[in-house]
Formats: sequence, C-alpha cells, structure tokens
Amino acid sequence: MAPRMIRNLTIVVLLCLCSQVIQAQYFIHKTFRDTRVVNGHSVETNNEGVAKFIISHRFGTISSGPSEFFGLDQATMRIGMDYGIKDWATVGIGRSTFEKTLDGFVKVRFLRQKSGEKSIPITLTGFSSIAVNTLPYPDPTRENYFTSRLFFTNQILIARKFSDGFSLQLMPTMVHRNLVGTLVEKNDVFSCGMAFRYQLSRSWALSGEYYYVLPDQLAAGRYNAAALGFEVETRGHVFQFQFGNAIGMVEKFFITETSSDITKGDFHFGFNITRDFKLRGRKY
Amino acid sequence: MSMKDLRYILILLALLMLSSWDYSGTEKVIFDESTPLMLLKSSLGKEIPSHYLKETNPKETEIGRQLIFEGRAQLEKGKSDYISKFYVCTSCHNTVKENIDLGKVDQEARLDYAIANNLPYLQASTFWGVVNREIWYNDDYVKKYGDLVIKASKSLKESIQLCAQECSQGRVLEDWEMQAMLAYLKSIEVRLGDIGLTDSQLASLNSNELDQSEKLRIIDEHYLVRSPATFSEPPADKKEGYGMKGIPERGKAIYELGCQHCHKEDGVSDLVLDNAKKTFNWLKKNITADSQYSIYQIVRQGTYASHGHREYMPHYTQEKMSDQQLEDLRSYIVQMAR
Repeated sequence: MAPRMIRNLTIVVLLCLCSQVIQAQYFIHKTFRDTRVVNGHSVETNNEGVAKFIISHRFGTISSGPSEFFGLDQATMRIGMDYGIKDWATVGIGRSTFEKTLDGFVKVRFLRQKSGEKSIPITLTGFSSIAVNTLPYPDPTRENYFTSRLFFTNQILIARKFSDGFSLQLMPTMVHRNLVGTLVEKNDVFSCGMAFRYQLSRSWALSGEYYYVLPDQLAAGRYNAAALGFEVETRGHVFQFQFGNAIGMVEKFFITETSSDITKGDFHFGFNITRDFKLRGRKY
Repeated sequence: MSMKDLRYILILLALLMLSSWDYSGTEKVIFDESTPLMLLKSSLGKEIPSHYLKETNPKETEIGRQLIFEGRAQLEKGKSDYISKFYVCTSCHNTVKENIDLGKVDQEARLDYAIANNLPYLQASTFWGVVNREIWYNDDYVKKYGDLVIKASKSLKESIQLCAQECSQGRVLEDWEMQAMLAYLKSIEVRLGDIGLTDSQLASLNSNELDQSEKLRIIDEHYLVRSPATFSEPPADKKEGYGMKGIPERGKAIYELGCQHCHKEDGVSDLVLDNAKKTFNWLKKNITADSQYSIYQIVRQGTYASHGHREYMPHYTQEKMSDQQLEDLRSYIVQMAR
C-alpha cells in the first residue's frame, strides 16, 4: 500500500473517531421530524433500540380525474422497518410493490450540529442502500444475470437547523444501476437534492424536497423528482401527507425513473405513516 | 503475714483484676456525625431490617450504581440485560439529599434546594436515605393501588421489585441485581451529621441523661421514616386554576428541573418540551383542556401505560409539587407564550 494511501486512510479513520467524540457533545436535535423528508431520507437516525415501522403509499396522478378517483384507485406501496443499532447508526429493509423491489440500507451519522463552544454548524449523515428488482426476467430465453437486478445508492446528507422552525438539507447523491435500458442512459447517475422543513405549529410542519439530476444521464421522459408534504406528529406516530411527481419510494425510482411531469400538473398524492417501537433499553 | 491477711490480699487482687478486666473490655461507643443512622438506631434497640446489608464491597456497590443510573451493569461476562426498555431509576428518583430539613415536608424548600444544587425536581422520593425509611408506597398509594402495593409498603426489596416491574414497566430483578442495588443504596444511607442535630442534641445522644426512647424520639423528629404521599385533583375550573398568583421565576425552575428532565430531546419521553415559543403556545392552549396535555391534568393525574405504548408519566403528589408550584409553572408558560 502506498504511503499516501495509508496516510489518507489514517486521516479518514481519525475523522471518523473524532466524529464520535464530537457526538458526545451534541445538542441540536430534530433537524427533521422523521427519518424521511418525503421520499428521500433526512439526516435523522433512529434512537438506539428503536424499531421504526413505516408504511408508505403513492397513488396515481390526481389529474386522472374522478373516474380514477383522482389517482386513489391506483397505488404503489412500500412497507419497511428501520432499526437503531446505535443512536448514530440505523439499518433498514423494505419491500415495494413497484417492480417488486426489495431494499436495504445503512445510515450513519458522522456529525451532529452543535451550538455554543466548539460549535458544529451542520449535521452530516452518510446513507448507502441496495435495491433488488424481483420481477420475473422479461426475456427468460436470453442469458440473465442476478447482478442486473441490483441498484445502489450512496448519499451524503448535510443539514442545518437554522431555527426551531426551519431546517434545510442538501443531498448529493449517486445512484448506480448495474443494467440500464438504453445506451444513452448512464449507469452512474449523479444528482443533488435539496429539502426543507418548516414548522407551522407544534404538531404540524411543511416539508419539501427536490432532486436535480445532472443533464444527459437519464432516458427521455424522465423528470426531476419534486414533492411537497405536510406532516403531523402525534404520540409515537408521524403522519406525512404529500403531493409529488414520483411514485417510487426507493432512491433508484424517484431519482432516476420519475416519469410524471409537474409542469403538466402530474401530481400524485401519497403518505407515510411511521410508528416507533422500543425493542431494547438505552442509556438516557 | 498471717494466712488470713494473705487471703484478704488475694481477694483484693482478684477484685482489682476483675475490675480492670471490666473496664478494658468495654468500649464506649461515641456517636458522631459520621455514624450511620441505622447503626445508631440499632444501638438504641431498633431492629436492623433485612434490606440493610451489614457488609458490602466496592465492586458490588458499583454494579448497583450502574443498574440504578444506566439500567444495566458491566459484568465480567459482558453487559447485563436492561431492567426496563423505557426508564432507568434516575428517570424519577434522585440519589442525593433533596432537602435541608429532613423532618418535614416543605415543597418550597425542596425546590430551593433543587435550584441551588441544580437537581432534577422529580415525582419520586430520593434514593438517598431510602434504606433508612420504614415504610414505602404509603398513604394514598395504598388507598389507590391497594393489594398491588401492600407488600411493597412494608419491604424495601418488594418496593424495588414493584418499581422495576410496574413503575418502570420492566422485568423482575434477579437476586444479584437486588443485592447490588441494596449495596449501592447502603452507600447513600443517612448519617447522623445529615439530619441537622444541634450540638447539645448530639451531646445528649452520647450521654446517659436520656433513655433510649427519648433518644429515638430526637432522631425521628429530624428524619421522616416515611415519605408522605397525598394525591390530589386538577382544579375544578382550570381557567381559574387553584386561585393563587403564580411566580414565573419559580415556574421556570420547575419547567427546567422538573418537566425537561424527561421531556428533553433524546429523553425518556417522546413528547419533547423545548424552549420554543410554539411549545409554550401549545402548552398554554392546553392548560384549560380536558386532556392529558393540560398541565393541571398531567401533573395531578399522570398517564397510564397502555398496550403498544408502555411509556407513561407518573403524577406529582402534593408533597412533590404543591398547588402553588403548579400555578408558578402555569405563570411561566403563559409568560413564555406571549
């Protein structure tokens, strides 16, 4: 191993260790109310020992009219469970009806915003996920590979809570698709998301997110994902209602496969409901 | 010297030897400020209860401390299982002295002491000196919970088990855990110097002027062997409250040392009460509500564990928060909501 590589590796390890020390000093909490903004993840992680059950629905386009009950006749669903291994590390799995997709992720918070002495201006969380399409192969006669079913996402979530009521988040993201449909599509898709939360009252908040995909990476007819949501927090539950143009709830869907164009009024209604369960104790 | 004289001399010598034996073999116990209250009372004829461990070791005491503060302990084979998923003992109990005068209930003095020493202002009695008490879960706890607390009211061990299973919604303690917790509790027992005796009272305990019962009476006047518990109701008209004028500065202390002990970020409660104006507005709006979000209702009645949501809030008895203090809390909330 080259000395330079060893040095860089050492710096990375030291930074990771330092981040753990820094975590012991945190006191800016709840930059976002939940671990999801709308479709994508927020910087928040589960508390240690807490399992979060999440059920999400995205319906058809509202513009489909009364015959489709404004989209409610069609729905895609994701059911998932996240678990806090530590206060700063969460793992999760989920299953979406859309393309019968299984997904799993790891999320680690490296920095936590802190005010006062030795302040830290941001919360920084790393997110990495894998998704597996489990649909039957469209053409079983050809040679198919399991790896063709795999999709990977890596994100850095950077957020700052500016006040009790307002938080902002940036999400530089890379989605890797092992197999793409056409030659013009890129396997590695780079994008940058932006999200916010504005607290309307103690229980109600407005949230939104937008993922800008850098040009010339996707096939024609794919659009940037945008969503606006309202969330209400009750005892142990968070309800999120949203309007957006994506119907998938896994990164590879809403970042690279959003096909509804908001400029044409193609909005979908959807919701996330989360419920926390304490599976084990923790240090208070 | 005749045989008779020799006999007298021998008897005299024998008497001298006996008398000297008597004096050298009896050590007079001097009670001073470091004397544990339990040993003093025992020397005055009180029976030592079974929860009071005669011998403890530092390792066991440390394990007990961990169980009480962290809910589990670091053992040689690894960390033990949490006693409760939801709480630790110190969620509701302090482990230090909470009042200067230990012979009476004085909510204002308790709050002053909490402010001066930056102590949480909690619903439950402190563990400091709990081994010196003679009754636990007394008064209205017995009236309300009946058979559930009868055994616990007469035994500290039963009280701890009840607390582990019901109050903290956890599990039965194993023998080693109980032993370790008792060892830690012994390490925070009350000593003679803690109960505020005057020099003359201390001297009288060391003299023969008073008999044992009088000495015990002096001690009992300075230390409550039970923690009185009176349950009360929210005011009939929440808008009017209890009719006293609240002092916001006192209410601020109650909010910060009491409410926010549990209702903080990453605290034991999901409901976070921060210092945001929206939070105070929400609390103010709910003062008159007929719900658990009214400070009157939650402080006086608490909530109960339910299926799927075992976390709950125990109420404050009158002795732990007076009506005046509740009005102080209200006045602070109203002030901060402006």
